[in-house]
Amino acid sequence: MRIVIAGFGTVGRGFAEVLQMKSDLLSSLDDKIKIVAAFDSKSYVTDADGLDPLILVKRKKDTGSVGSDAMKEGTDVLDSVEYDVLVDTSPTDIRTGGDGLRYIEHALKHGKDVITVNKGPLALKFRELNELAEKNGAVLRFEGSVGGAMPIINLCAENLKGERVRSIRGIFNGTCNFILSRMDTGLPFEQALREAQQLGYAESDPSYDIEGIDTACKVVILANSIFSRDVTFSDVSITGITSVSAEAIALASDHDMVIRLIGEVSDTVLEVSPRLIPKGHPLSVSGTLNTAQIITDLAGPITVSGRGAGRIETASAILSDLIAIIDRRR
Amino acid sequence: MRKVNTMMVNADIFVRDIPGQLVGSLEPISLADGNIVGVVHNRDSVVNGRIAVNITFEIGSVEDLERLKGIWKSKDIIISKMSSVIETYPMEYVLIGNIDAARIEKIINNAGKAVSLESVDIRFSSKMSENKRTAMISANVRKSDDIKKLNAFMASACTKANIVCIRGVGQ
Repeated sequence: MRIVIAGFGTVGRGFAEVLQMKSDLLSSLDDKIKIVAAFDSKSYVTDADGLDPLILVKRKKDTGSVGSDAMKEGTDVLDSVEYDVLVDTSPTDIRTGGDGLRYIEHALKHGKDVITVNKGPLALKFRELNELAEKNGAVLRFEGSVGGAMPIINLCAENLKGERVRSIRGIFNGTCNFILSRMDTGLPFEQALREAQQLGYAESDPSYDIEGIDTACKVVILANSIFSRDVTFSDVSITGITSVSAEAIALASDHDMVIRLIGEVSDTVLEVSPRLIPKGHPLSVSGTLNTAQIITDLAGPITVSGRGAGRIETASAILSDLIAIIDRRR
Repeated sequence: MRKVNTMMVNADIFVRDIPGQLVGSLEPISLADGNIVGVVHNRDSVVNGRIAVNITFEIGSVEDLERLKGIWKSKDIIISKMSSVIETYPMEYVLIGNIDAARIEKIINNAGKAVSLESVDIRFSSKMSENKRTAMISANVRKSDDIKKLNAFMASACTKANIVCIRGVGQ
């Protein structure tokens, strides 16, 4: 199994580390895994015989670049090597899909399987990408794009096959959940946001998280992948958490409730908004955890929870997709 | 949405004053998937060979209640009164914005025209921030159809008034 890692940033580096950490497990597979190319925004490196994941990680750490050769067009790098799977960990661009969209399209057009954690291409071009994959006999997997380490897409698609999923409601953004959890203790929004930034949970420009954009991308991915809808980012009704006041949190608390940013998807609903949650409800969790409640026709409500971000956590989802692809090829 | 109770029914029935009739009048409630909350069996009051029994029970739907009434009728049990049929669904909203009691009252009055409100409770925050006030509305609607209607009404009314509306998770 020859892999190309596109976008060797935090998650790409985490994936290389996971390949090393799980080398015993992976060496027991019939199809041996090797990285034949990796590239970031500045550089690239290729080796048909396989690259050492630890050397890639060290070079990235030491120099800020994964390779020694100056980066050319990413699709040219893809064309320069023989590979089986593209692992796309490039940054999310919700306006255009960014470089990741081009890499994914390029790989699928050439019949290569793709694993991506990049929400932009999936939120904008889900149907097109799936059609492209189908047309070219390739597989597109994206477990890590929603909820990081929290299993949800493959859980619904593979483990809940006999069920009809009626709806999914969840906390899909750890940054917002951290801020709202801190507001539960009496902090005003601005202070809770600053604390999230100091702890590295929120970006210096937090609008992508707090305006609900990140959650909306995930809602679109769930709607398309689990509910077979044909929707895109612009179809989502989005309300972020910037208007949630300390007074609102306090009033909710007086009624034994908390406020959380909830993404909701069903056959008819596509919404991101702050919602009142009774204390003790599975979605009343605090901190940076992601939690989703899947309502099914036979099993009733199923709740899953896990770390929604982090390089190793997200890489664990990529690994599960990779092993699924290997199993499928047997 | 938390469904606090389905239908709470209070019924006065008359059963024949012979052994086994009381149990015979209660069993059909279970058959109709009901849940008996209380029974008052007044043996001192016998009218035309029948004694009065007051039963309070929960039942899932109007259809189940009709089924129960049919069974009672077939068992020669007379229903003299049936009341306090309550089916409520709690709805909760937090409103944030330029709001005061009069404005909220107007919204609620208009909501009452759109749906059947069983009860409404409004609480205001004691503090204001950035000239915005916060209110919490706890309401009960009688019909499940009203859940979507009330949500749509509140969303529309609040959007028009530039008020942020946060609703309950199950609504």
